[in-house]
Amino acid sequence: MKILAIETSCDETAASVVENSKGAFEILSNAISSQEKVHAKYGGIVPEVAARLHVEKILPIIESALKTAKCNWKKIDYIAVTAGPGLVSSLMIGVETAKALAYAFNKPLLKVNHIEGHLISALTTYHSPLTFPAVALVVSGGHTQIILVKDYLKYKLIGETRDDAAGEAFDKAAKILGLGYPGGPAISREADKVKGKSSKLKVKLPRPMIKSNDFDMSFSGLKTAVLYAWRDTKKKSDEARAEMAREFQQAVIDVLISKTIKAAKEYNAKTLILGGGVAANSALRDALTDSAKKESLELLIPDIKLTGDNAAMIGMAAYYHIKNKNFTEPFNLRADPQWELV
Amino acid sequence: MNTVTKNEKETIQFGKKFAKTLKGGEVVLLIGDLGAGKTTFVKGAAKGFGIKKNITSPTFVLLKVYKVESSKLKVKELIHIDTYRGLGLADLENIGALEYFGREDTVCFVEWGLGLEKYLKNAKIRIYKIEIKNLDIDKRQITF
Repeated sequence: MKILAIETSCDETAASVVENSKGAFEILSNAISSQEKVHAKYGGIVPEVAARLHVEKILPIIESALKTAKCNWKKIDYIAVTAGPGLVSSLMIGVETAKALAYAFNKPLLKVNHIEGHLISALTTYHSPLTFPAVALVVSGGHTQIILVKDYLKYKLIGETRDDAAGEAFDKAAKILGLGYPGGPAISREADKVKGKSSKLKVKLPRPMIKSNDFDMSFSGLKTAVLYAWRDTKKKSDEARAEMAREFQQAVIDVLISKTIKAAKEYNAKTLILGGGVAANSALRDALTDSAKKESLELLIPDIKLTGDNAAMIGMAAYYHIKNKNFTEPFNLRADPQWELV
Repeated sequence: MNTVTKNEKETIQFGKKFAKTLKGGEVVLLIGDLGAGKTTFVKGAAKGFGIKKNITSPTFVLLKVYKVESSKLKVKELIHIDTYRGLGLADLENIGALEYFGREDTVCFVEWGLGLEKYLKNAKIRIYKIEIKNLDIDKRQITF
């Protein structure tokens, strides 16, 4: 079974051909045109520019995905597209393109939730059936959620951020420290400059809500704490900046891991799943790997290439919906910028 | 006018009280630096409209819509917009934000929205300006 997937929820124009035979995924192509450089000068995505670039790129990207996969339309069995959440003007380009292609080539169409794509992105490297229940941490620029996965396609939201997403906190802390956009890689690079484990500077930031009895998180106060700690840093040396970045990153990671592990214990999970743009952060990957090992949990972590927005994850998520025959009538499909998975 | 809130809870409480003075159709421009508590203020305002859903930062998705459940209120939707990235009018039109301004069944809260003042005035839309200043890590001065 071959699925052509399209993803345009934010600032990446992406298309992919995913094949599944006997339950194992193979990504035949994963074409992405990133607008990151264009938006970097604005310090973030600008919707009008994003929509225009999506329109320019969408058809060449689909062509390229088909070509790399050595595929033509005859060989494609299904078309899948991200219908939300995201920016409405960005989502629309992908959705309308998918609808037109589904009509033109008479292929069944599936809508996929962007968060579900992130949640499933780790499944490529994993060929045996999952052991449920699983607890998934989906962490990106717009979302920070802990989701209980009872079975394929059966989700329950058990915790989320009450204010800023973790990725957004990275962006804003980077801005405060003058490290540029996107903040995730900038903070991570800066944090890596700290040599050795102990530092003379001893910055200490809070771990918001780490002791609360639920699985919710909060990163807005941490951003404010960075603002004050940095303002009160008398000597804003490179070393001080690196130390602040490292402490900030560690604070976010401590909260994410503590809440995820707590959720895994509470729900008797057998498997941990990581997904989303922040899953590219190597300190987070290492810390979660250690914690999973300690708790004897199986850990599914996506390939770095699949942590950012991509269409392959949408194709993979679509596969499970195909098995459930969750097809969409193209005429009725609309982009839904606030679509909640759970 | 001027008020000082001692902590996050009081900022939320103030937002709640403020929201109760809104009739529908207003656009509230929130002014203040990173970490000032603009989203916190909107959390309070949402409480004032009886919205149970948790208000999260709109920075990434730029616009969030919350339904007002109470049938007694004329306001049916609270719109939370963030122009942090320097979004202009064309961008706001692009994401459908402009359609919500000045409608009697909505109230709009725009973070970093000062750039919209002229446009809104020309369109004869009622605006409020709320300025939030950090006095220290918890204390805020709110000017309105």
